[in-house]
Amino acid sequence: MDRALRRRLESRFAAQLSGPVRQRHDETEIRIAPGDVPDVLRALHDEPELDFEVLLDLTAVDTGTAMQVVYHLWSPTSPDWLRVIADGLSREDPRVPSVTFLWKGAEWQEREAYDMFGVTFEGNRDLRRIYMPPDYTSFPLRKDFLLPDDAARSPGAGVQHMERTHAPAAAAPEALVRRARS
Amino acid sequence: MTTATGRQASADDPRVMLDEQIGVFEPVPPYPPRTEREAEFYTLADGELFLNMGPQHPSTHGVLRVVLKLDGERVVDLDPVLGYLHRGVEKLCENADYHQAICYTDPLEYVSALFNEWAPVMAFEKLHDVEVPRRAEYIRVLSSELLRISSHALFMGWMALDLGGLTPILWSFIERDEIVDMLSALTGQRMLFNYFRIGGVNGDLNHDFLSRLGDWMTRATAQHEANLGLLNENEVFVRRMRGLGTIDTRTAIRMCMTGPNLRATGVPFDIRRAHPYSVYPELRFDIPTRSEGDCLARYLLRVDEIRQSLRIIDQCLHEMPDGPVMAKLPRLIRPRPGRAYAAVEGPRGQYAVYAVSDGTDQPFRFRIHDPSFVHLQSVGLLLPGNLVADTMAIMASLDPIMGGVDK
Repeated sequence: MDRALRRRLESRFAAQLSGPVRQRHDETEIRIAPGDVPDVLRALHDEPELDFEVLLDLTAVDTGTAMQVVYHLWSPTSPDWLRVIADGLSREDPRVPSVTFLWKGAEWQEREAYDMFGVTFEGNRDLRRIYMPPDYTSFPLRKDFLLPDDAARSPGAGVQHMERTHAPAAAAPEALVRRARS
Repeated sequence: MTTATGRQASADDPRVMLDEQIGVFEPVPPYPPRTEREAEFYTLADGELFLNMGPQHPSTHGVLRVVLKLDGERVVDLDPVLGYLHRGVEKLCENADYHQAICYTDPLEYVSALFNEWAPVMAFEKLHDVEVPRRAEYIRVLSSELLRISSHALFMGWMALDLGGLTPILWSFIERDEIVDMLSALTGQRMLFNYFRIGGVNGDLNHDFLSRLGDWMTRATAQHEANLGLLNENEVFVRRMRGLGTIDTRTAIRMCMTGPNLRATGVPFDIRRAHPYSVYPELRFDIPTRSEGDCLARYLLRVDEIRQSLRIIDQCLHEMPDGPVMAKLPRLIRPRPGRAYAAVEGPRGQYAVYAVSDGTDQPFRFRIHDPSFVHLQSVGLLLPGNLVADTMAIMASLDPIMGGVDK
């Protein structure tokens, strides 16, 4: 755990942080609003005392109640991984600004997150499905997309549809939506 | 449906199937463009044409379709079409318990399966706060460095094969076969090992493995140098690769490249040193870099990495501690809610897993970051302006494995 990085982040992004800076093992985690993504990531990327120039990973998480977009960054100034979570995207219409202006290589990772979760990355010039066929209508990694052989876990409701079209809100039986409690 | 002769064709008439197959792989998609970029790409200027490379093209290392827009023999633009191998591994892992999830990740980059296991195992160990015995860590390093050599050796063979040279692939398969035979003595499997466990490895080193390894180590260096003579001193190969597909440091970082492809542009970024894990801080090895950033540099860099891996294996054998190879853990683990990110330096670059636990026995979110996927998108920068014949050379030099790209 890099305490110095924590202090730097707390003082630099006091206005943007939507929760405490969390640290565990070799990871530091901050949470921000989706609208702050371009500003925060540009500051992390450009400012020499932060210098998070390497984008290791970009992905999305469906918590069952909201969507998150998660960025992992690396910097020579810190021994920790930095995780930036853009939290609180609506499940009905998740939108977040694209980071392709900083890392062009994020383009396909954003396409993948769009394909799997339906997150719209505003500013990505080529946001179309990357794995699933173009006429596919659902988002497979969402929590209301159930596998047909999920019988061990489900009472049987709604399992017959392999390709269940994403319907907003209350689409999944409450018992099937496991929530991230942290 | 009627054939050219006018008679009614049956469904299993091969000519009918052929017609339908051709329709499926038309380069221009049969639906309106979804993005501006797609509209721009699928509009032909004067004198341009589309060429469909794949999905069964032998040099695409799996099932990849690349739509090339050509002007004469020059590539103007391209659009890779993925998803032919998509299996939904992340979803499968989210519906399996923590131990089961490991074996689903094996077939992703099937030539370096141990690295695919290592990242999720490390992430789960972080989630569950497991202390791994030192002997297990040494065995992990030993076996995966062996596999790195095998993967790099295979890369050299494939690369030469894509350029039209048949001999190196046969030689590199000799090397790979010796290594996978060794690992099969250790793990029980030749390719998809499923050897790493949460908290250690499945089974200690055995006599069969060690005797094969000792035998191989006595001649590995000489054998490696002999293999190099095939390509390093081949004027056709070297002239063909030099200056081809050049990428500079800034662009490589912007393209999120990692691993040998990034180090070939001069950045000594290696997860084993940049963010040390396992017992790598105790081991002595160098991070080779090259400054040219072209296909030849990417090839030569992997050559240098094999030498470093041999050094690491040698140290592991000499410094292997005694002790257990598994931590004591219950059969079913339920980590407390939390998030963990673990990355290993695979033969192709950073292979990482982001796991989210919600307190149950299954990962709530299981994200796999595959270096092949990220590297493959840089062909969009590297190919335009080159000849069609060079597309295979450039793609092969990035060393993508489609099993990992499509997940």
